[in-house]
Amino acid sequence: MKDLKTILENTENLSDYRITEKNTSSYELFFVHRALETVRSTDTTSTRVTVYVDHDGRRGDSSFSVYRSMSEDDIKKKIAQAHDRALLVGNQPYGLPEGGELDEKLPTDLDGYDPATLGSMIADAVYAADDIPGGSINALEIFIYRDTVSVRNSRGVDKKQTTHRVMIEAIPTFTDEVQSVELYEDYRFTRFNAEKLTAEIAEKMREVRDRAAAVKPEGGMTVDVMLRPHEISELVRDLAYDLSYSAAYMHSNLHKAGDDLQTGDGDKLNVTMKAVIEGSERSAFFDEDGTTLTDTVIIKDGVVSGMFGSHRFGQYLGIEKPSGSLSCVSVGAGTLKEGEAGNGAYIDIVSMSGLQLDLYNDYIGGEIRLAYLHDGEKVTPVTGISMSAKLSDVLGSMRLSEKRDVSGSYEGPVRLLMKGVSVL
Amino acid sequence: MPFSAYLDGVRKDCRELVAELGRGFDYVSVLATDVRETTYRADRRMSAVQDGEGECGFVIKMHDGRAFYEYSCDDISGDKKELAAKITAAVATDTALGERRISTAPVKDEPMVRDFVRENDFDDYNDEQLLGVCRDISSELIGKSDKVLNAIAMVRPYSVSKLFVTKNRELSQYYGWANGYAIVIYNDGKLVQARRIEGAGTISEVISKVKEGLDKVIDLAAHLTKAQPIKPGVYDVITDSSITGLIAHEAFGHGVEMDQFVKDRALAKHCVGQYVASPITNMHDGAAATHSVASYFFDDDGVLAHDTQIIKDGVLVAGLSDLASATQLGTEPTGNGRRDSYKRKAYSRMTNTFFTPGTDKLEDMIASVKHGYMLFETNNGMEDPKNWQIQCTAEYGIEIVDGKLTENYVSPVVMSGSVPELLKSISMISDGFEVHGSGFCGKGYKEWVRVSDGGPNLKVRVKLG
Repeated sequence: MKDLKTILENTENLSDYRITEKNTSSYELFFVHRALETVRSTDTTSTRVTVYVDHDGRRGDSSFSVYRSMSEDDIKKKIAQAHDRALLVGNQPYGLPEGGELDEKLPTDLDGYDPATLGSMIADAVYAADDIPGGSINALEIFIYRDTVSVRNSRGVDKKQTTHRVMIEAIPTFTDEVQSVELYEDYRFTRFNAEKLTAEIAEKMREVRDRAAAVKPEGGMTVDVMLRPHEISELVRDLAYDLSYSAAYMHSNLHKAGDDLQTGDGDKLNVTMKAVIEGSERSAFFDEDGTTLTDTVIIKDGVVSGMFGSHRFGQYLGIEKPSGSLSCVSVGAGTLKEGEAGNGAYIDIVSMSGLQLDLYNDYIGGEIRLAYLHDGEKVTPVTGISMSAKLSDVLGSMRLSEKRDVSGSYEGPVRLLMKGVSVL
Repeated sequence: MPFSAYLDGVRKDCRELVAELGRGFDYVSVLATDVRETTYRADRRMSAVQDGEGECGFVIKMHDGRAFYEYSCDDISGDKKELAAKITAAVATDTALGERRISTAPVKDEPMVRDFVRENDFDDYNDEQLLGVCRDISSELIGKSDKVLNAIAMVRPYSVSKLFVTKNRELSQYYGWANGYAIVIYNDGKLVQARRIEGAGTISEVISKVKEGLDKVIDLAAHLTKAQPIKPGVYDVITDSSITGLIAHEAFGHGVEMDQFVKDRALAKHCVGQYVASPITNMHDGAAATHSVASYFFDDDGVLAHDTQIIKDGVLVAGLSDLASATQLGTEPTGNGRRDSYKRKAYSRMTNTFFTPGTDKLEDMIASVKHGYMLFETNNGMEDPKNWQIQCTAEYGIEIVDGKLTENYVSPVVMSGSVPELLKSISMISDGFEVHGSGFCGKGYKEWVRVSDGGPNLKVRVKLG
């Protein structure tokens, strides 16, 4: 069969095309308690083609998947169908990214390991933390991935990037004579550090032991609440999504350049969408269009200073050099020193069912599975409570820690202190 | 015949690969998938017609008398001996790990050869017609109010062809489902989004359902601009059928997925035969339990669809299992083995999950509330099967005062608390019934599958915030 690119170039009446391919090979281990239940391996490729047809002063496009099962004739029929579909679509014209060749690997040390050996080493590192009386790791899933993504288009883009990444899902559990409790944790990394992994799981083992001892506080209270990186990342991402080119073009954005998001005396947000964060599995050099990613400051000192997004929607908004679809987010340090929050009562959240955010309704809240209630004298693990607050109040008065770290695709303060939150 | 011609053409390859791998494994199955989705979309400024998330590939599952092994790939043509050797090498472990394998009973391979087809009307529509429908809906919504900044209309039909082959079994299935969406972005001093999402087995039905609801979307958007935050507290609550379904799904559905029993991750494992809900409560799950988005004929382990009663008169009677968990527990699989795609593992998953109707009238239920809220439209939820906590988020609620619905809207509304307390607080169940076939469900934070849930209206007492 002819190369897909050749078939597309030999097709008449196409204005442009784009081919995106993602090959993923994986080695996966699934444990029940300490026993190995399932071993999986995958070798799959997803190929996506988009054709563009200019007509009547407008631009139409349509995408389809190409499967290994397809013959050359099948592909030609799909191209013809996509061409006809593109003729039905008449969008504001836009161009594709032009030129640029690349074949790079994202920073990693995982490519130096045999997957089966690495899987075994990861399992050993996780179970090394399983040494608390009453504690256990009731389930462990290990996913070792190698992704190779390539983008080619009719304007000379020919880029390829390879990512090596590991995702682990571990379920630390604690059982005593009264009950059995667990915490859900996932870890994602691009460099293997057995000691660090064991230490992180060990901390969760201690926390799940505390969950067994946790109590539900009597009555409601209004109290300061501390968030950790997973929830801080969720909060910042929701703010960031509102500042995407596509949200602005669709009229669904709440904020625009110059808007002050923080009317109060709290620490000011400084948010940059980034292409690469060391250790993040979502790091990338280019996006699905092949646009070279450009780090972009979107919030500076609490004020909206920029937007980000794809080549197409950037053009629609008149952006000279669209940033590309950035996935990593970096937040600047605040002023909260370690131990400073201990001057008064506060709740330090370890685990939530899921942070609930609603920018439209100015809401932040959610159910808390485990937290530590600091009353100024003692620390009590608490559970079975929910929090809620006005998001604008939180943004205005919040404090961010001086200390920063990387967590998934987020780098930034490791703590965010929300003032005066209603907890029930 | 609408079943995938490609899959029809690979039956022999599947049989040959099963035979070749059967030389080294006690049990071998091949699941071949060909899933197609098309998206038709229009809003004020843009439109699109394109293939959505589909898949076409193979997953080979093996059991060696102890553990399970799986290999996912795009192609099984060519020399089967060579492919079998490649697969065997790809799932090998180092020696130490190999010694830590589980040990289970043999996997049953009951003989059966069946082809299942559920007809639909997808071929009655062409691209131009369906894009036209979306444009019309978008235009109609925009025309209803100058406060509508944008209106997005979508129709998404998808069809599933799957072939399952073992030494003794050869099953094929074809079925389809369609979803329709109407979303408005509305500004009346406050920017809000309101949506209507529908599902049906035919395109004609889903279009009809979406069109019927357009005035309601605009009315909802107008009310949401006036919505206030709810004062946190414990309230009497009446649920609409989607929130009923969310409770069924999050409160108990995840808790009876029996792969969690194997891992001692579900409290429900210890509660079979016990009262876990009010005695007027009955709950089901199953691909064969109703016709909705998860109504397949056999699951991704080749087990025929079931209708499983989970709660009978308040007592927990059964859980949901895939092949691997049932094999480890020594039970019969219930047809709940589902994969995100052929690239992912099969787990015990929900399908169509719902409470069954009661005898109360909705108006009597509302009239019984002195002060509380009626909650509408699922936003999201999160399970906690080990500790039986629950978090369910409704898009909005309407305040009930002295037995009457008011014009006071609250949004969003997060419902949380203890599962047993919530389920045992069910005091009234309506005689209405609706299942919503437009949801996706993850396990933890991954492994997304299409699910439906629903039921009647419930009266419960629960914490809102």
